[in-house]
Amino acid sequence: LFPVLIDQLDTHWPMKVKLLLRNPQDYLRETADDIHKLARNPAPELHPMSAETEYVRALNAAKLERVFAKPFLGCFGDQGDQLSRVCMHPRALSLCLSGCVDGRVAFWNIPRRSRVLQLDAHSGCVQGLCWHPEQDLFYSCCDTDRTLKAWRVGDDLTEFSRPVSQRHLDFAPLNLDHHVSKDLFALSGDAVYLYDSRRSDPVGQWKWGSDSVLQARFNPTEWHLLAAITKDNALLLIDTRQREPLRRIRCEFRQNALCWNPQEPFVLATASDDYNLYSWDARRLASPACVYRGHTNAAMDVDFAPTGRELVSASYDCTVRLWESGRSQSRDVYHTKRMYRVFAARYSLDARFIVTASADFNLRLWKARASEKLGASTPRERAAVNTAEALKQKYAHHPQVRRIVQHRHLPKRLYQAQLEMKAIRGKQRRKEVNRREHRGEDKEPFVPERDRHVRGVDE
Amino acid sequence: FQTTMDVAAEDSDQMPSGFHAKAAAKAARLRREAAKLASASALESPGGIESRPGEWAPTQSKLLRRVAVAARPGHFELSLQYGPYSVAYDTTGRLLALCGRGGHVAAFEWRQKRLMFESQVNEPCHALTWVGAGSTPQLAVAHSNWTYIYDAQGLELHCLKRLHKANKLFWLPRHWLLAACTDTGHLHWQDVSTGQTVASYCGHHGPLRVSALHPDSGCVLTGQPNGQLCIWTPLEKRPVVKMLCCPAGVRAVATAPAGHAVYTLGGDSRLRVWDIRCLRPLSVSDSGADAASIRLFDAAPQLAVSQRGLLACPVRQGAALMVLPAGGAKPLLSHPSPGRLSDLAFCPWEDVLAFGHARGLGSVLVPGSGEPNPDGAVHPLSGKRQRREAEVRGLLDKLPPETIAPPAVGGGVNAVDAEGIEEALARKRAAVMALPSDEVRQFQPRRRSGKASGELNRKVGERWQRRRMELRQLLKSKKRVLAEMGDEGADAAGGRKTKKAKKVSQSGELTKPATGTFLDRLIPKAD
Repeated sequence: LFPVLIDQLDTHWPMKVKLLLRNPQDYLRETADDIHKLARNPAPELHPMSAETEYVRALNAAKLERVFAKPFLGCFGDQGDQLSRVCMHPRALSLCLSGCVDGRVAFWNIPRRSRVLQLDAHSGCVQGLCWHPEQDLFYSCCDTDRTLKAWRVGDDLTEFSRPVSQRHLDFAPLNLDHHVSKDLFALSGDAVYLYDSRRSDPVGQWKWGSDSVLQARFNPTEWHLLAAITKDNALLLIDTRQREPLRRIRCEFRQNALCWNPQEPFVLATASDDYNLYSWDARRLASPACVYRGHTNAAMDVDFAPTGRELVSASYDCTVRLWESGRSQSRDVYHTKRMYRVFAARYSLDARFIVTASADFNLRLWKARASEKLGASTPRERAAVNTAEALKQKYAHHPQVRRIVQHRHLPKRLYQAQLEMKAIRGKQRRKEVNRREHRGEDKEPFVPERDRHVRGVDE
Repeated sequence: FQTTMDVAAEDSDQMPSGFHAKAAAKAARLRREAAKLASASALESPGGIESRPGEWAPTQSKLLRRVAVAARPGHFELSLQYGPYSVAYDTTGRLLALCGRGGHVAAFEWRQKRLMFESQVNEPCHALTWVGAGSTPQLAVAHSNWTYIYDAQGLELHCLKRLHKANKLFWLPRHWLLAACTDTGHLHWQDVSTGQTVASYCGHHGPLRVSALHPDSGCVLTGQPNGQLCIWTPLEKRPVVKMLCCPAGVRAVATAPAGHAVYTLGGDSRLRVWDIRCLRPLSVSDSGADAASIRLFDAAPQLAVSQRGLLACPVRQGAALMVLPAGGAKPLLSHPSPGRLSDLAFCPWEDVLAFGHARGLGSVLVPGSGEPNPDGAVHPLSGKRQRREAEVRGLLDKLPPETIAPPAVGGGVNAVDAEGIEEALARKRAAVMALPSDEVRQFQPRRRSGKASGELNRKVGERWQRRRMELRQLLKSKKRVLAEMGDEGADAAGGRKTKKAKKVSQSGELTKPATGTFLDRLIPKAD
């Protein structure tokens, strides 16, 4: 009777019961070749402290970036004398030229860091080196023997001792640059001379003042525009269609090098003797667009990355600094015990590597992104790297994250030099504030940083 | 996800401003959308019982007849002899451990009934918890004197002498911390991954016999005999929050595995639910806001809350257990216990409840208690490799103990540093409003002597006379602006409160602003 009663009770009181039962097939992978299944539930109740977890991940990402930051790739081998110029091939990623103080020009294979070819090009210091944009031809010039030589590099890359052509100049050339597409090149010496390869006499000549021109460079986008730096602390803007230079910007200190932005036609950057780099907007030259401060000695060379968003600078203080365009604090600083005064720094064509030439007779290869992995990355690796980058940017303002991301180790002398620069600047600012308080706002107006470096603009 | 503002969103007149109301509304909308997305892509749906009104709560046999055979492992009884038992599930819900006052310690996989280890430690064991991640599970057991950590084979790995006379052990998975409350009134937080003691102090609030962990924030909640609920964090040696929650002493505290609800059972046998974010009561029954507490007659002080808010408590002095639905007073389920109930634990991710009693332990089916859709690899069906990966990721994402803070106190990683901003503003204001120093105003230029000095002295004197006039004007205009800004401005600038300033602020009228100084922008605008 008892069991029957129970059944009868059940039919009279039907109750719906649902119990949570999982089918293991829904959670296990089907074959060993599949990836494991991952359950997902975005409900916030299952993700408490998600902001704190993200913050910890950002902190770890910052720390790991520093752990993997090993930018130095290698040395190109002793050249035997100080290197004065580096020139990257315009079309091939793995080739570059270097010019030496004793007149030798070497042709390097960058990945192998081996010398392919060496030429006794000149009797004096190689002052200019540049490639022809389309042909396998490069030019070199020297101020001691006042020659401009053209060399052809064949496919077999055999040693040869005679140049393809040679031109004697009646001035001492200090630098050389080739046009991006036309058969023109610009030589700087006592003036800016524009030469056509088919003509023996210069096609154009520009000068402002009596001092020599240290460097002239063509704008890669605006084909008629040239910029030049002169020895009397000036920057010239030249239009090849006009007889006189367009503008002259008189700066406080001498500019040592100049580079046009390959992506933005009106932007150029200069490396100055007053330890700064300046980027200029050619449309508004009254003051620099940005002042890049960080070096503790004269900046000798500057180069834009092919992306136009980054800069590299070589300095007399034995460091190389990397900058983001528009940000006045350097993103990274490279230094080595053995690297002495750095005179040239160039980006590779893919913006991933930097080649530097220094007074310790060596060329060095560096990574542009110090913690970048070289070699193939799987999609997951790339996703992880991108996530880490995004996290670092999201928490960039947090003091702990900022401390780790910004910090770079510097050797003692460089660190002391940096502190010294800070003390000098602090003292200058304090004096200004005191003077303003005593003399008044109208007599001692506040001058923003970027207006302090230009003496005047002449038209 | 929810913040203190969201609680107040229910009463819109509690919003500090329209901006906050809009932000709260946006947050609520995003939550609804996320919930919709989650439910649309959900694999499983939660369990439940649909019964007609007036129907009795079902027995286990009735449930077993209506569910699939695969659910049967969740219902079992073990008759053991070594004293009242405490039970603990690990975070994946795969492993069940027990420890008895007679010294019996065991762990087994409850689905397959596969015994991991079983040992007799010859000491009374009061509490236990699983520590570590699922790939290398370890069991922390509080013996009468010290706390021991056993591995999956039952080998004793560590003896934590600092955790002396612990009566409750808690595991904080995101921080990798083992927290303990002791009979001596001490609180300990031990980092299990590095072995470092994060905090260990005496609370000076008597023996901490009633305690619970708030998993979302990692704080330890203790109930005091004077009816207070104290919230403890490792960084403070005193309770961060003390809240009076019962007229009599607090007999039991329990928290849900996720969320902001805290259940307290007072000496008056009333169960109250609190919102830990704003420290205000939550309504217990869904019938209305009037029912702030429900009466649990003869309830023994062990409470357990499931992932979906079901509350289990012993009734009839431990002779049976009762399961209440979330926010309800009518029991969903009840089950008699062979011995006096000593511990209750809901299995995470499953509709199962384990209970320990004086004569062993048992497990019952409770439809609707487990969260159906887990996230990540922390669920019963995750494989060994996934658990290993999850352990490594958990170690990498280990949160520092500074993140353990009660939500009511505020702060957190993304909180706006209001104090810092105020300080910076005050400093800026002080710098702008700094009055010209007396030195500058009373400076006398040096009188020169020699040729043409008379003319020079006259010129310099005139120049300084002009400068002194300018400074006097500047001083006047700054004082006027200070006065208009009121006492607050004066304090911030460190300026002197003149009689004139007081008059202005008392009258409540703004004077006409001056012309031509850069200080005009600091004058508050009349609305």
